[in-house]
Amino acid sequence: MSDMLCVQDVTKRFKDKTAVDQVSFSVQKGEIAAILGPNGAGKSTIISMILGLLQPTAGTVQIFQQPPQNRKVREKTGVMLQDVNLMPGTKARELLNLVRHYYPAPLSMKTLSDLTGLSSKDLQTRTEKLSGGQKRRLGFALALSGDPELLILDEPSAGIDVTSRKRFWETIGYMAEQGKTVMFSTHYLQEAEEAAERILLFHHGKLAADGPPEAIKKRVVKQAVTFRVRADVSFSHWEGFSFIQSVRRRQDRIYIETSDTDRTLELLFEEETGAYDIQVENGKLEAAFEQLTSAERGAVL
Amino acid sequence: MIMVRLQCKAEILKILRNPYFVFWSLVMPIVFYFIFTRIVNANAPDEKLWQAHYLMSMTTFSVMGSAMMTLGLRMVQERTQGWSTFMKVTPLPDSIYFLAQMTAQTMIHLFSIIVIFIAGMLINGVSLAPQEWIMCGFWILLGSAPFLAIGTLVGAMQKVETAAGVTNILYLLLALAGGLWMPLEMLPDMMQAVGKWLPSYSLGNGAWEIIRGNFPEGKNVVILLTYFVLFMLLSKYVRRKQEAV
Ligand SMILES: Nc1ncnc2c1ncn2[C@@H]1O[C@H](COP(=O)(O)OP(=O)(O)OP(=O)(O)O)[C@@H](O)[C@H]1O
Ligand SMILES: [Mg+2]
Repeated sequence: MSDMLCVQDVTKRFKDKTAVDQVSFSVQKGEIAAILGPNGAGKSTIISMILGLLQPTAGTVQIFQQPPQNRKVREKTGVMLQDVNLMPGTKARELLNLVRHYYPAPLSMKTLSDLTGLSSKDLQTRTEKLSGGQKRRLGFALALSGDPELLILDEPSAGIDVTSRKRFWETIGYMAEQGKTVMFSTHYLQEAEEAAERILLFHHGKLAADGPPEAIKKRVVKQAVTFRVRADVSFSHWEGFSFIQSVRRRQDRIYIETSDTDRTLELLFEEETGAYDIQVENGKLEAAFEQLTSAERGAVL
Repeated sequence: MIMVRLQCKAEILKILRNPYFVFWSLVMPIVFYFIFTRIVNANAPDEKLWQAHYLMSMTTFSVMGSAMMTLGLRMVQERTQGWSTFMKVTPLPDSIYFLAQMTAQTMIHLFSIIVIFIAGMLINGVSLAPQEWIMCGFWILLGSAPFLAIGTLVGAMQKVETAAGVTNILYLLLALAGGLWMPLEMLPDMMQAVGKWLPSYSLGNGAWEIIRGNFPEGKNVVILLTYFVLFMLLSKYVRRKQEAV
């Protein structure tokens, strides 16, 4: 199958800061891919390069086998940027209608307002008077207006309430059913997991992991039980338990990586290990990102 | 093309809905006109001529202002607020976007000219021969090109506040020193000498000549053209430099 989107060895440096570091991946038609990463991971930067808004320092980006600036590409791509910005002094309806006409086969106004939940009152309002959430809805409607084959959305769910968010993901699901390709960025693992069938995990500008949500989740959300114990107590046989992934000793602390902290604690007391200063670490995403990428670095060395 | 037409329409609506435009380009010139022809006595030897003269001054003042401010500030605003970024990811070609903006701006100028001319007829019963009205209108419309170029230069500025501050000062200075508020002859000698070389004076002077039954001076045309080329090149240069990121 031909690649819908192909990113090859892309690097972006701002002065001395490397925002995106040698990233390569490709997205196939019909895929829903999430770019997951904490603040400053490089999500918006990679998206800007995919859209041809930023020129990569090195590497190439191709959409539909063409450079992103190509008009044919623009006609088939719908975009929602991180900061939704609208033309001031224009009513929502006028703006949406205007942008629809930029595309050869736009969706109808009715379809657009149904898909995004823009009310007719919202549509009569001037863009600068819309609320933050309404602006984002209009931004989403603009992204959909040309009935795009590829949707690229930078943090689409930020700043909208629960109902709108639900509707938004339903619409994304609907687009997927229509065979559209969707790529969106998010901070939230849960969101990526629920909506996407593939996660591209970014950290410090690098593509730290790429795979289906289950696999990523296993790698990212690590729970651990750590404690101190007398030096002569051995834990090596624990690695045989299914809910324990690894046992490591660092100086006088033991680190047990586990998928079930409760059972690990039970075990700890059952065996009368004499463990003290016990801490349970419940896999914060930030921390997990750190861990994951430092592990990657370790693997390279 | 429907795309161009819709884009123009949106741009025009956008300008008309901007309270700054309405205030600076329509209300102010008309109020000034009223004050300096009806309330303050200018002691002009030929009152009818003064009324027509000052009408041209105020029309020039209005068009010059909206060319610099409306266009320039909107460009800054659209860039800082990210609308221009969004426009880049749509299939609308830059050229059509630019063309629509310029066309809209010209239509707006034409609209301002007509409104202010009508205000002159209503306030003072200014009467000129039809070809004089038309020539004056066209002269001011075409002669606004250097100010549009200044507008695109202003449009390259980073912050709306700075851009607004700079253009306001530039606007008022050009208007005052160019003899649009009061005839150049009433200003100190030194200012007169400088004023004669300003684009604002040249634009106004062309219209003042027309209402006196003459044609705009060749010098006016040359000065306006020179400024136009100069500011276009400058604006191109600045933009090229910014895009190099
Ligand atoms: N124009 C720029 N000049 C200099 N540095 C930049 C620029 N744009 C981004 N950066 C830096 O590049 C890094 C990645 O930024 P980016 O906006 O891509 O992050 P992000 O993953 O989108 O973050 P967020 O979740 O906060 O939106 C950041 O450290 C940022 O400071
Ligand atoms: Mg971002």
